[in-house]
Amino acid sequence: MVIRSVTFGAIASALVGIAAAPAQDSRNLLESKESLYNNIYVYEQPPYVSMTFGHNRRIYTESVYNTRDDRDLPVEYTRFMTAGLMYAKDVHSVLEIGFGGGRTSWYLHRFLPNVQVTSVELDPTVVELARKYFGIKEEPNFQVVNRDGRLFLQESKEHYDLILIDAYRGPFVPFHLLTKEFYQIVREHLADGGVVAQNVEPSTMLFDSAVKTINAVFPQLDFYRADGNIVTVAYDGAERKPEDLAGVARDRDKAYGLRYSLLDMLSQRRHIQIAGGNVIDPSAKVLTDDFAPVETLKNIERHNRKLP
Amino acid sequence: MTSRFRVLAFTIYVVAFIVGGVLMGFEMLGSRYLFPYFGGGIGTWASLISTVLCALAIGYFAGSAMIARHPSQRTIGVFILIAAGYLACVPATADGVMEKILSGLGDGPAATLTASTALLLVPLSLLGTFSPIAVSILTRSAEEAGRVAGLVYGVSTIGNVVGTLLTTFTLIPTIGSRAITYIFALTLACCAGVLFLPFGRR
Repeated sequence: MVIRSVTFGAIASALVGIAAAPAQDSRNLLESKESLYNNIYVYEQPPYVSMTFGHNRRIYTESVYNTRDDRDLPVEYTRFMTAGLMYAKDVHSVLEIGFGGGRTSWYLHRFLPNVQVTSVELDPTVVELARKYFGIKEEPNFQVVNRDGRLFLQESKEHYDLILIDAYRGPFVPFHLLTKEFYQIVREHLADGGVVAQNVEPSTMLFDSAVKTINAVFPQLDFYRADGNIVTVAYDGAERKPEDLAGVARDRDKAYGLRYSLLDMLSQRRHIQIAGGNVIDPSAKVLTDDFAPVETLKNIERHNRKLP
Repeated sequence: MTSRFRVLAFTIYVVAFIVGGVLMGFEMLGSRYLFPYFGGGIGTWASLISTVLCALAIGYFAGSAMIARHPSQRTIGVFILIAAGYLACVPATADGVMEKILSGLGDGPAATLTASTALLLVPLSLLGTFSPIAVSILTRSAEEAGRVAGLVYGVSTIGNVVGTLLTTFTLIPTIGSRAITYIFALTLACCAGVLFLPFGRR
């Protein structure tokens, strides 16, 4: 049944094409390209340009760019991806895994000119289209690397103060970017006092397993809820006190002149206790390289448990 | 047709089905061994698929080259047993091998092909010898050859389909890849054991 519905969906999307997707009517298709990994569509709806991936009959927005303002972050959760800035001990270097249209990393390098920002993207065509339509270019403190995120980290000897993980490919996350072994590699590449911020889509049981897996490596988790996504900030050591975070947020808001204030984000912070089982299903399993049924978990709707 | 031959024929078809299932199941598992090191791209899949097909070609050629020496079901039993032994060694050694390949060759086509070769080529070539030898054992007269070959390949291909689907949609979501590998090794060892039973001489 799974095979048939997937095949049917693929055929249907091939026949009906993008016209079947709702809310596409007012948009103007600038370019569509089939890459090694995705079917990529770039739409224009002035002043915005968006990059979307097509999967089955659905279109998944990966990135939205405001052509009149390169420091705008129109997608709400991408603003919260910067929340890690108020947790990190120092801010010298930032790594992003999953570049897409590169809005978050571009925003960071514009507001933090003395910070080295590196972003890793698997799909070379995504990088190519981002350069063409999203105003992305190499700058002294900004670089995009075309590589599998995990491979990049495995071979890297660098340490980062902030690692952002947002490697969605349409509705999917590659399983090797969601296992305990992967987060251990991530942890090895954090500088002293460094933190991880990860975008997780919370509607399916994959969310519970993903959060539990992050928690298996990082003892502290804070959630920031935005639109349909949750940004998880994960860090080592003891729980950070809100007043300490507020102090750093205030300082860094001022020092960098950040458009999206860290202090405002702090009011959305929810510290998560996994142990209680109220937020995360206690039966959810930690994902490992050996056991990571991401596709199956993705197909189980999440009900029962309330999100904070 | 003697009843002993009938039992032998039935056994060979059952084993053809199971070996076909393990063969494709192990290819699907191969992705779980390779992805953490070489990424989950189309290149990794291309390497896995081409390695499996190469292994089958080698197995078919090797099997056909052996026909002149009148191999028995025990010969294939031995090959299946060696393949089982190889599979049993995979879970404990795979990570070390993958890391060496990654640090030596990077993650390009050379690396993914080497990795899938290390993982799949030996056991799947051995399993590939099954079909030609099985056809020669089951064929008693020239006019039977086509019918027998069709049956053996048909049954083993259905095994391939079942192995692919069962591994992907049931085994990988319920138990770990390493445990599945051990189950496959054990399954193959049982098949080999059955082929060692006395079915009477040809």
